[in-house]
Amino acid sequence: MIRKVATIVAFATGLFMLVQYFLNADIVSLIYRALLDYYQIIFAMTMIVGGITLFLNHARTIAHGQRAGWYSGATIAAILFMIIAALIYGTGADSPYQWAFNNMQAPMQATTFSLLAFFVASAAYRGFRVRSRAAAVLAISALLVLIGRNAFGEMISEYLPQAAGWLLNHPSVAAKRGILIGIGLGSVATALRVILGIERTYL
Amino acid sequence: MEISTLVAVFFTMAIFSFLYRDNPFYRLAEHVLIGLSVGFTLVLLFNSVLLPKLFQPLFGSHDLWSLIPLALGLSMFAGLKKSWGSYSKPALALMIGSGAGVSIPAMMEARVLRQMASAIEPFSRMGAGESVGLWFIVTILISLIGVATVMIYFFYTRPETKPVTFVSQVGIYFLMVFFGATFGYTVTSRLTLLIGRLEFLLGDFLGLI
Amino acid sequence: MTRTNTRRLIFLVVFLGVALPLIFNIDLTHHATPETRQAYTNIESLPDSAIVLVSFDFEASSWAEIKPLAEVLLAHVFARNLRVVGVSLFAEGTTLGEQILAAIAAEKGREYGVDYCYLGYRPQYVAAILGMGESITAEFPADYYGAPTKNLPLFADLHNYDQVNLVISIADGSMPTYWTEYAVAPYGVNLEVALTATMATAYYPYLSSGQISGLLAGLKGAAEYELLLKQAGGGKRGLFAQSVSQVVIMLVIIAGNVADYFRRRKPWK
Repeated sequence: MIRKVATIVAFATGLFMLVQYFLNADIVSLIYRALLDYYQIIFAMTMIVGGITLFLNHARTIAHGQRAGWYSGATIAAILFMIIAALIYGTGADSPYQWAFNNMQAPMQATTFSLLAFFVASAAYRGFRVRSRAAAVLAISALLVLIGRNAFGEMISEYLPQAAGWLLNHPSVAAKRGILIGIGLGSVATALRVILGIERTYL
Repeated sequence: MEISTLVAVFFTMAIFSFLYRDNPFYRLAEHVLIGLSVGFTLVLLFNSVLLPKLFQPLFGSHDLWSLIPLALGLSMFAGLKKSWGSYSKPALALMIGSGAGVSIPAMMEARVLRQMASAIEPFSRMGAGESVGLWFIVTILISLIGVATVMIYFFYTRPETKPVTFVSQVGIYFLMVFFGATFGYTVTSRLTLLIGRLEFLLGDFLGLI
Repeated sequence: MTRTNTRRLIFLVVFLGVALPLIFNIDLTHHATPETRQAYTNIESLPDSAIVLVSFDFEASSWAEIKPLAEVLLAHVFARNLRVVGVSLFAEGTTLGEQILAAIAAEKGREYGVDYCYLGYRPQYVAAILGMGESITAEFPADYYGAPTKNLPLFADLHNYDQVNLVISIADGSMPTYWTEYAVAPYGVNLEVALTATMATAYYPYLSSGQISGLLAGLKGAAEYELLLKQAGGGKRGLFAQSVSQVVIMLVIIAGNVADYFRRRKPWK
């Protein structure tokens, strides 16, 4: 029964959101705005459910006395710290919440992604091998962008940035455009399947 | 030196230590990062969405219509218990259904029609009598061939005849150009992130730059 | 040499390729690409007091690359006496966006609520982008600091995208795609994007089709923009390190192929 209700809700809201694009009436605008707000509220609640699930999973790891319990304790402590700090001191510029973000969370995020510079170099050494014509095209394209969008490349020859610019503006655009059109058509087909109740895997 | 810089240096080095191998410092930093990110996002969502869009209208202005999103939002908590999971489906259906509905005209216009028009548009300039050079004609032909062959490559139900296979092979070369260019830019991007971290360690911490 | 040692040698080479040029920095001469010039001209051509909506659509992970872009764009916007409305569609961009907007506004002597304001974060980008198209004050009843938006002088003549002259999405992901789909397509918004380099190739088709009016990419893009603005910043500072490290990666690719050639000596398929 509840799944039938869900299918009807998906159909009704999907059809409404599609049709409102072509309509201009106050009542339509009112419902449209309300649905957009609901969308955000449900999303926020979903994230809270996700946070609780993560919290419970780590609490279970600690309760079972597993070796990773110390690390799970760190995760739980960090979640609680941010929430309690925000509750007590707020989220202003000088709050502990902002301090933890600026001096712990942001540097760690940035460092984690900067590790990719090393791994991408290692991957380039092993994986960027010219063993076929297609791989040769891949390598030449990468090298041209690397040197063409580089200050040294500009010093070597003015044609290098121009060649990189041509590659980025024409053959590369053509490929990406083909992908975009394909994804666009595929997404429209999937959206129609969702609205018509053919695609119900989310249920 | 400020304590905040030292804390940032400790966690930065803990993450960098993974380059040698997995170790307790890295794992600690990784778990702290997850916890902080979750806590940060939950607080932000409460302040940015639930407070102004749900609780203030409901408890401040006594707007009873707000009971609808409250009920839908609370139904998501049913997902925490397996046997109650289905009660969260209508709210999920609202998100997925409305998302699907709103995406159809947007996708058709932004991704399909405008991109198709842009692929063909240079030819209309020629048709309108505008004088163009040979290089322009070669370039727009290459672009059009690229779009067509890449689309044929992704057309999985195509007949496996020789001409079609050849055309899709041409599409692969265009894709390689795109992926190569993207790789070149991705490498550049990752190096910039490393520059950012080393500017912090060598500058703010060690004072070398 | 073992696989692990080769890997660690590459790590060391990359580290030195970035660290040494940072310590022994040199100012390199370079030129602005047509894409950067277009992005610059786009802002330059806006009328005095025009409204620019700046969306901070990035995470803290890409801050090193985003910061020079955001700095130089905001400096230009404020120097041109344009009014700025800041929002964020990514959680971590909220705090970083607020910090940089407040810092540059203070540096340029702009007044909060009159010359600029910061509305903060909204999740679910589709709903947020479409919501602003209907009414910005309804989407953001209060600003980031909790003040009612309708009381801010900036909103006396600002209701939705109709009054916004330019939207700038400063992004490290696919958020500009959603801006094109849900703001440019239905509302005809004038959109400019400032991206991490890794996202650049994905947006050239949108530039070519006119769906975005300007594209600024990566640290090099920021350095080029600083050149046009005649202002030194993070882009110029990191340009030498980036250029050297790019050459290092090219050499690593070539070394990998040479090693492979001597090991296999097989012709192409």
